[in-house]
Amino acid sequence: MLKYVLKRVVAAVLTILVLITIVFFLVRLMPGEPFTSAKLTPEVAENMRSYYGFDKPMIVQYLQYMGNLLQGDFGYSMKYTNRTVNDIIGETFPFSADLGIRALVMAVSIGLILGIVSARNRGKKIDFFCVIVAVLGTSIPDFIMGAVLQYTFGIKWGLFPVARYEGIEYTILPACALAFYTLASVSRIMRASMLEVTSQDYIKTARSKGVSDLRITMKHQIRNAIMPVMTVMGPTVASVLTGTFVIESIFAIPGMGKYYVESVSNNDYSMVLGMTVFYGIFLVTCNLVVDILYGVADPRVRIGKR
Amino acid sequence: MKKKVLAVLLTAAMTATLAAGCGVPGGGGSDDGGSGDGSGEKVFRYSTRTEPTTLDPTKGNCIPDNEIQHALTEGLVRNTGGEVEPGIAEEWEVSEDGLTYTFHLREDAKWSDGEPITANDYVYSWQRLLNPETAAPYAFIGEYIKNGLAVEKGEMDPSELGVVAEDDQTLVVTLEHPTEYFLSLIGSSGQFAPLRQDVVEEYGTDFAADAEKNVYSGPYVLTSSENQQWIFEPNEEYWNRDAINLDRVELTYVQNQDTALAMYESGDLDYSELPSASVQNYEDTAEVFRNGNVDYFYYNLDCGNPAMANTNFRLALNYALNRNEYNTLVNNDLFVPSTGLAFSGLADNGSTWGENSTLEGYPLDGDEEAAKEYLDTALSELGMSDPSEITVTITTTDNESAKKQAEVVQEMWTKALGINVQIEQITYAEVLTRHSTGDFEIAWGGWGSDYDDAYSYLELFKSDSAYNYSNYANAEVDELLNASQNETDAAKRSEMLHQAEQIIIDEAAFLPQAEREVYYLMDEDVTGVEFFHCAVNIDWVYADITE
Amino acid sequence: MAELNKDMFVIRGKDTVRMESISRPSLSFWSDAWRRLRKNKSAFFAMCLVLLYTLLAIFAPMFSQYTQSQMDANARHALFSAAHWLGTDSTGRDLWVRIWMGARVSLSIGLISAILNMCVGAVIGGLCGYYGGKLDMIVMRIVDLLYGIPSLIITILVMMVLGKGIAPLIVAMCVVGWIGTCRFVRGEVYRLKEQEFVMAAKVMGIPDFIIIIRHIIPNIMGMLVTNLCMAIPGAIFQEAFLSYIGLGIVPPDCSWGVICKEGIQFLRYYPHEVLIPAFFVCTTMLALNLLGNGLRDAVDPKLRGTD
Repeated sequence: MLKYVLKRVVAAVLTILVLITIVFFLVRLMPGEPFTSAKLTPEVAENMRSYYGFDKPMIVQYLQYMGNLLQGDFGYSMKYTNRTVNDIIGETFPFSADLGIRALVMAVSIGLILGIVSARNRGKKIDFFCVIVAVLGTSIPDFIMGAVLQYTFGIKWGLFPVARYEGIEYTILPACALAFYTLASVSRIMRASMLEVTSQDYIKTARSKGVSDLRITMKHQIRNAIMPVMTVMGPTVASVLTGTFVIESIFAIPGMGKYYVESVSNNDYSMVLGMTVFYGIFLVTCNLVVDILYGVADPRVRIGKR
Repeated sequence: MKKKVLAVLLTAAMTATLAAGCGVPGGGGSDDGGSGDGSGEKVFRYSTRTEPTTLDPTKGNCIPDNEIQHALTEGLVRNTGGEVEPGIAEEWEVSEDGLTYTFHLREDAKWSDGEPITANDYVYSWQRLLNPETAAPYAFIGEYIKNGLAVEKGEMDPSELGVVAEDDQTLVVTLEHPTEYFLSLIGSSGQFAPLRQDVVEEYGTDFAADAEKNVYSGPYVLTSSENQQWIFEPNEEYWNRDAINLDRVELTYVQNQDTALAMYESGDLDYSELPSASVQNYEDTAEVFRNGNVDYFYYNLDCGNPAMANTNFRLALNYALNRNEYNTLVNNDLFVPSTGLAFSGLADNGSTWGENSTLEGYPLDGDEEAAKEYLDTALSELGMSDPSEITVTITTTDNESAKKQAEVVQEMWTKALGINVQIEQITYAEVLTRHSTGDFEIAWGGWGSDYDDAYSYLELFKSDSAYNYSNYANAEVDELLNASQNETDAAKRSEMLHQAEQIIIDEAAFLPQAEREVYYLMDEDVTGVEFFHCAVNIDWVYADITE
Repeated sequence: MAELNKDMFVIRGKDTVRMESISRPSLSFWSDAWRRLRKNKSAFFAMCLVLLYTLLAIFAPMFSQYTQSQMDANARHALFSAAHWLGTDSTGRDLWVRIWMGARVSLSIGLISAILNMCVGAVIGGLCGYYGGKLDMIVMRIVDLLYGIPSLIITILVMMVLGKGIAPLIVAMCVVGWIGTCRFVRGEVYRLKEQEFVMAAKVMGIPDFIIIIRHIIPNIMGMLVTNLCMAIPGAIFQEAFLSYIGLGIVPPDCSWGVICKEGIQFLRYYPHEVLIPAFFVCTTMLALNLLGNGLRDAVDPKLRGTD
């Protein structure tokens, strides 16, 4: 088991290194320049290029960047000129992560329940209802969902604060809006996977032995059915926790999502790289955890590995 | 095993929720009701759609940056809504030729840490602005000062810049050209603020990274810049402390206009811009100011498409646009359709540019007949017989209203002229890059000025200007503009500028569309907020809250 | 009962004609699936709805007096009327025509890119899951890499190379789109291959190829089909997001995402401009989901011959 984990960790570190290298050169291939103010004169542009070391050969820039990175330094943002990328991530990530975790807890718990209930009642009305809830989640674009939630609950009925993040009550609407999509996909995968499991021999065995339905579900079905849900959780956790541009913008949450999208469209190279590395590490870690959990949860996988 | 998994999941979820609950600070502390809440504290809360990029006055490069500096720093003079009043300089003299300004600084002026503000703080700041090593994005704004451009290019040492401290209280500034609007410019541009050398050098690249890493010369100090919220409190050391009425100002970054409006309605903000879709529902309470921005499409005369180089074709495009209808479709009837180049509200020889204007522009309703005539002439000049042989591409940004502009223009041109119009949408950053590289045929754009003078707009069509994205060159225009820079007679200068504008319009060097308006809502308790059409849109320095 | 004796029986001999005939039609995998799908009312209804939308997308714009870009300054924000069945948008364009022109773009992008993604992802994921080892390791690292690179960068670069339009958009979406299916299929195959029936097949010496076709694929087919139906909405939304940031559909073309985006700013005052496109997006998604669930049940080999 330890060897298995170690191997994964080494691979993960290598992945991140390659990722940084690729992104470092890719951003420089993108059209446009980081220094774009509507009133940029050639002299100013020249000075800014040399300030950020763009006049040096690409490989020198790359080595410099990697050197700084090893010391955990992502460098200064090119748009928010006197702030470091570390500083911006450090300030905004807690908000995104906080919101993301709330959304995730909500999405996974409700999603699993919906999936289970719907699978146990396949073809009945309640199944149909659960499917519709799940579908609504994936079928309404997040900018509409966010705006509608904000308008109805925040403005019309005044039940929740409209925007910003200044206490727990502020997180409810954005977390709901954020949770919906994940909730829907979790419940759908869970339903499909539950049905898959239902026809397995061990369930039939249990049933023929007279084990009660509820007990079968609790003891056999869920545990086996949850595996495919875990597969998708890695990337989902990573993307939900690092913030979403649209929801954060609608609810004026000072999170990371905006910087992630904006840095790309602003060609803010150091920010793109910083965000990518941060996100990459996060994602690889999440996938690693999922892989390991897979091994823990399904002994057959673990044994098969040996 | 199942229990283990469940337990792990549950514990993870619970710890995460708990940890998250206490891990995040409770926000900027605007828990009180704000203005008029009876606590006696005068708090003004407003929002910005564009996040300020820096708190370093030298490196500011957009209006939100500058608005912050307007409150935190004190220039030699202070420009409030177009009125220039003494700032740190008590009085000043201007030489006969308009090239030398001698400023006398007040002796009681102090930084927020109690140190005196001296003429050297200005010298240091202005040299830092133009020093190539600083790489200030707005360095060009210092090119008015003698040797400014040479210093910026690294050809001269910053010490040779035309700004000298004769003693602690006397500052002598020499300019390149007599610049009528110089005082107005330095009164509203944060780049001309004083800087403390010891503080800047102490923090190095971290200078002004947050509220603590700075000292302030202006009416307010910044107490927090965290979580996309900026909190200002009065500077107790400010020389004119008595004129400051507010106890606190909270600026919040709210990108989404509908959200800002919702926050205003629920009482979280005292001022909010109105999304154009909402204006009609606030007809009684909405107020309006014009921010000096004019929407254009730039034509690239040098793009390789022979049609774009043809004056008659460009005239056809300009006549084919029904600007009134355009304004209805794109701007919900809110902006002011424009057929000129310079913003009409600019100061001009004691009046405004619009009032002095004798411009013969294009008809606001368009003129399809005239457009077709110009098109026919253009076709024969180009050796073509059918308008459908011509294809032009509009390059625009990813922004929703920019897209709508392009769609409406596309529809009108296609319908009236029968030419093919394509739309290309790219990021804002890429559009700006394309402006300077000239890789476009027709590009979204527009202009807002940093100073209260039409030259800023006319410069767009001066052949040697860095902003001449159209690659337009007309010797007469160049001559008029060059002459205007050395003309000290305001009336003559104004006449030259108006003449230049007429030529540019006659040759259809670009497509003027509309002058922007900003509709806003303001809590009725708030008084004394000034609006200005360049550099500082909203100025709350002297604002007050009345009960 | 009376005793049985030989006289009570008659030898009928061989019936050479009927001997070879099959009393019930043979049920192939797909015809069985089709049979069961038809029985599933909600899935059948969903399928009809998708078909109806497809037909409308093809024919509705042909029979309208308006075009998708025709503006009318005097009929902005119009509500439903005889002239404009679904009202108009902020520039007076007819929403009925725009919805169906948008449907053409959205549905085709959704369908094509979802199918492409699924095929690529399933093949790669299946190979990785089944063979594991070095191949798996390498592909999973590539997957991690692609996941890590902001998809926006990849999209911008692909669009830069291939230009704008629907085809480049689909390619750009596929560059990262297959990963989800890949990871998912890999996980499933990984799990299945350790199961008894696969082991049994292996022990019996059945070649890998046959095992994959006969045992693994039918077992994940249900999930795959569900995934496919779910991937279509995903693709439609991604297109909307890309259009949102200006990298998607170029005017005068439009898509449902674009129409929603245009309408959202008028949510408070002219809600129909966003709710109508949202309604079509929702119902399409709902239909696809129900169809997906129905298909899942229909193609599940373990449910064959039941009900």
